[in-house]
Amino acid sequence: MFFLHNLERRVLLHPSYFGKNMTELVTTKLVKDVEGTCTGDYYIIAIMDTFDLSEGRILPGSGMAEFTVGYRAVVWRPFKGEVVDTICTSVNQHGFFANAGPLSIFVSSHLIPDEITYDANATPPQYTNHSDIVIEPGTHVRIKIIGLRTGVGEMFAIGKIDGDYLGCLQA
Amino acid sequence: MADNHYGGDSESEDDNFNPAPADLSDEENEAENSSPRVSRKNDHRSSSPVAEEEHDEDEDEDERPSNRTTKRPRIAADDEGGEDEEEEEDEDDEGGGHGDDDEEDEEDEEDEDDEDDVQHRHRRKRRKNAGPNFFDIEAEVDDEDEAEDDERDGEEIEDFIDNAHPDDIADSGGMNDDRRHRDLDRRRELEASLDAEKQAEILRERYGKRAPARGYGDMAVVPKRLLLPSVDDPGIWAVRCKEGKEREVVFSIIRRVEERLGTKNELPITAAFERAGPNSVMKGYVYIEARRQNDILLSLDGILNVYPRTKMDLVPIKDMPDLLRVIKTPSLTPGAWVRMKRPAKHAGDLAQVLDVTENGLEARVRFIPRLDYGVRDDGIGPDGKRKRPGLPGPRPPQRLFSEAEARKKNPRNLQGNPQTNSWTFMGDEFENGFQVRDIKIQLLDVKDVNPTLEEVTRFAGGSEDGTENLDLKALAASLKDSGANVAYVPGDVIEVYEGEQRGVVGKAVDVRGDIVTLRVTEGNLAGQTIEVPNKGLRKMFKLGDHVKVIGGSRFRDEVGMVVKISQDRVTLLTDQTNTEVTVFSKDLRAASDIGGQGSLGQYSLLDLVQLDATTVGCIVKVDRESLGVLDQNGEVRQVMPSQITNKLPKRRTAVAADRSGSEIRLDDVVREYGGQQRQGKILHIHRSFVFLHTNTTNENAGVFVTRAGNVNTIAAKGGRINSQGGPDLSAMNPAMKRNPAENNRMAPPKSFGPDRAINQTVTIRRGGYKGLLGIVKDTTDTHARVELHTKSKIITVPKADLAFKDKVTGKPIDIYSRGGRGGFGGSGRGGYSSGSGRGDWSGGRTPVASATGGRTPAWGAASSSSRTPAWSSNASGARTPAWQDGSRTANPYDGNRTAYGGATAYGGSGGRTPAWNSGSKTPAHDGFGHGSKTPAYGGSGSGDTWGSKTPAYGGGLSAPTPAASGGDWGYTPGPSGHAFDAPTPGAGLSAPTPGALNAPTPGAYTAPTPGPISAPTPGAWQGGWGGDTAPTPAVGAPTPAATGSGYYGAPTPAPYPAETPAGGGYEDDD
Repeated sequence: MFFLHNLERRVLLHPSYFGKNMTELVTTKLVKDVEGTCTGDYYIIAIMDTFDLSEGRILPGSGMAEFTVGYRAVVWRPFKGEVVDTICTSVNQHGFFANAGPLSIFVSSHLIPDEITYDANATPPQYTNHSDIVIEPGTHVRIKIIGLRTGVGEMFAIGKIDGDYLGCLQA
Repeated sequence: MADNHYGGDSESEDDNFNPAPADLSDEENEAENSSPRVSRKNDHRSSSPVAEEEHDEDEDEDERPSNRTTKRPRIAADDEGGEDEEEEEDEDDEGGGHGDDDEEDEEDEEDEDDEDDVQHRHRRKRRKNAGPNFFDIEAEVDDEDEAEDDERDGEEIEDFIDNAHPDDIADSGGMNDDRRHRDLDRRRELEASLDAEKQAEILRERYGKRAPARGYGDMAVVPKRLLLPSVDDPGIWAVRCKEGKEREVVFSIIRRVEERLGTKNELPITAAFERAGPNSVMKGYVYIEARRQNDILLSLDGILNVYPRTKMDLVPIKDMPDLLRVIKTPSLTPGAWVRMKRPAKHAGDLAQVLDVTENGLEARVRFIPRLDYGVRDDGIGPDGKRKRPGLPGPRPPQRLFSEAEARKKNPRNLQGNPQTNSWTFMGDEFENGFQVRDIKIQLLDVKDVNPTLEEVTRFAGGSEDGTENLDLKALAASLKDSGANVAYVPGDVIEVYEGEQRGVVGKAVDVRGDIVTLRVTEGNLAGQTIEVPNKGLRKMFKLGDHVKVIGGSRFRDEVGMVVKISQDRVTLLTDQTNTEVTVFSKDLRAASDIGGQGSLGQYSLLDLVQLDATTVGCIVKVDRESLGVLDQNGEVRQVMPSQITNKLPKRRTAVAADRSGSEIRLDDVVREYGGQQRQGKILHIHRSFVFLHTNTTNENAGVFVTRAGNVNTIAAKGGRINSQGGPDLSAMNPAMKRNPAENNRMAPPKSFGPDRAINQTVTIRRGGYKGLLGIVKDTTDTHARVELHTKSKIITVPKADLAFKDKVTGKPIDIYSRGGRGGFGGSGRGGYSSGSGRGDWSGGRTPVASATGGRTPAWGAASSSSRTPAWSSNASGARTPAWQDGSRTANPYDGNRTAYGGATAYGGSGGRTPAWNSGSKTPAHDGFGHGSKTPAYGGSGSGDTWGSKTPAYGGGLSAPTPAASGGDWGYTPGPSGHAFDAPTPGAGLSAPTPGALNAPTPGAYTAPTPGPISAPTPGAWQGGWGGDTAPTPAVGAPTPAATGSGYYGAPTPAPYPAETPAGGGYEDDD
């Protein structure tokens, strides 16, 4: 689910940038540092704007200036039970991996409807029910997230496609 | 054992009239389990034969003799349905008024049956109907009489049955109707004419379904205490027999009962059973139920192994129920695990049950032998004395039987079949390395076996194909016996799966001994707190739960997410290796949703470790005590942490060159060249080896190793500049920032005219002709045809493999350098960042530029040919306009300018440049979508940034890096020397850059042009740049000064301007 989230971050600026447009530089650096990262719980998709730029403090020793910046960002946090549209990235006999944006989701073969079976002989290998449904890398798949694991700077989910309205979107 | 007991306790018709043999076999089982209920039933039946008797007569009087014994076989043979009906009647008799009458009669006849209690009478009836075969001979006559009397009643009853559904009997009123009687007669005739099978079918259809319900209901109303034996019931005697032959004896009795069934010698006993078990105190006895002791003597006469003549004990009435108490004996099933008590040599060893003998007394087990192959088994101790048998010597260790060793040490005692791998050695049998032996169950510990995984794996690993074939089910059973070691802790979510509270789910709030206090969370009881014994509990997990394996499982300490649950088996996907493992729910505990890398001591997954002086490896598996390490040769070894010399810290700055010489660093995505073409992200670079990680396979945690020279870069992560240490000052250099961004993105415009490479002197840098000198005769975008000096031959060589030389001096030159600006602009950052490029450039350029001061000569010099080339270089360089102003003096240039007028048209596109930037940003976001956006921003150098970002979208721009920044030079990514060299030409040569890129370029330049124009000549030229961009001074400095001050040191003036835009572009971006 997407949220607008107010966040705060400390930005370090190299002394060579000290000058009149420092604010701009700080913002730039913030965007560069933060956009597209994962905090563990959510992904920061985009920074909308910044506010509350503190005055910089020179850090003893390095000479870097530290700014505290408040910013508003669009974040995406996946939830258990959330249904997401994904693109399958790889298929193996235990299941398949799919990406929902930055999030990698694994769908175990236990969580795939029984009639959709692994076909190792196809190239590339695929999950198929031998008629209209074929799941191979690149296929768009609708997945329900059933488990999430968060780590430092990354998230991982497992999902299922045995449920109503779940599964291959290109049938 | 009695034949007159009919298996089921319900009075189901089938049972009632089943042929004796079938029943007996049933009973056989029951005797084993000795259900008290069953024996009670026997009593009933034998004591009350009457009712059954009656209706038998009723129906059958005209068709067959009333003798029960003859009737039995008949019924057994043909008509089940008939039985149904009869039974029906029987029921009715008992239930309705008729029944009462009958019972009164019975009472008169049977003096011993004086109890008023209806239930009791009921029981008596039961017994009678079956029992009389064996002992109730004197009652026979009475029965007949009675039956006679009842005939008429029977008629009526028949009526009931036929005309009304038995359910409706109560309200069937006008039964004496003549018509109905006739009707009945007709029907009877009809039925008689039908063949028995059809009749049976009809009857079954009509009544078959009702049986179970009724039987059940009947039982339900009999209070248990009334089923207890009384003095009126037959007594039970314990008769000595040979130990271990108890069951055989019972079988013999059964056979004898069958044989004498219906003869005058029928056995006068009602039941026989035994309670012998491996650990039973009742072994050595069979128990016979009979009226008199003498009956038993008669019955058992001549049966082997039983000794009725010795002592025979009457079991006290109050002990009878206990005699039949069901004790659940731990049943041994093939595959179960046991421990051996004897022989002493194997005491405590784990064994697996292969088979259990029929009498349940012995089991065939296999275990790992403790053999010393006869070294000490000569019966003579080391001191020369005869060893005392029974005293175990030192126990040899458990080892699978080795045929080779046996043959070597003691060939005489070895026989066997190599095909089946079964051997006999010293009188012991061995199969597949395991010793196999029949062992009395008494000598086995079947409870609390608690096989450890190590032990079990030794068995499992022993299969021929070497695969593990753990029978989880058997293991589960063994482990379940010792359910005590399942530890529940408060907070566990627990499900009750057995007993009255089955299905209840709750959270443990307290655990005390065997009692778990649950707060119920689901269902009707939600919110209540109940106490349940921990037997019959299991932990409950839901799909997707993050759990950790605890306890004795092989997968201990694995953490993963639940993907499947079936009963108490849970399948989870491990975090570390993305493999699926199945464990018992009791071995799991909920874990927090935070994933952690597995680690063992200081070593964690994916670390690079030094195994010995020449070997390094990447940790791909972390077990409890060992690590799986993928070494540089691609082999996986199991090592103990102590075997690891040390851990190699991750060297962020490690660099290697890929197959094409581009530098690769950590986190770059590369693909193997040839081989399996695996693609992965670089985890470690160690000397010439790279350890890569991929998500496409689970093998070795997705890690594989290859040589750096054997991979191609797919996508480079982040900016190279940054990784060289220190902040990227240029990215935020305010001076650069202020410049408009456009130039940065500019790709070299199309070059016009002939390729400057033609007629150049070149050396070939690689391939079979490496080092040879030649002249370029013709070119395409990518290849050149070179006429060699050494032999008159023209060969085709990739342009990238050419090094241009000055015709005269032989010094390396860069033929495209004249482009000056253009070259720089086109190459953008990438060009600059390259170290080696610098040399060329500065060599070619700086001196020239500064030396000439003026333009024409300068250019001429640079071009190494006359003007014309210079001109052409202009054309090809992006900066034509700049060039023009610089060179304005010359007419040709004017002409050219005109051409640029057209270019001005680019102005429009120049406007576009920003648009392009923003456009480029959009993809950047897409990149986010794809997950790898980080790199996009990571690169501080704008050129690189773009390069790396591009790959993020993979698709259209994919050749990306180059496309974005360099236009055509395939290799921007490798900002290293080569890349630089190669590219430049590329840029120059190929006008080919994508349209989008091309267009903007001119635009960008057009703007500057005017400046330069107004301020002519070289100086002006620079000024032009200055004018164009605010930071005049900055640029102004550039020319010569720039060389020194240039951030990159290399680049002469030209670079700066080029760069400036880059900086601006970046800013714009953000």
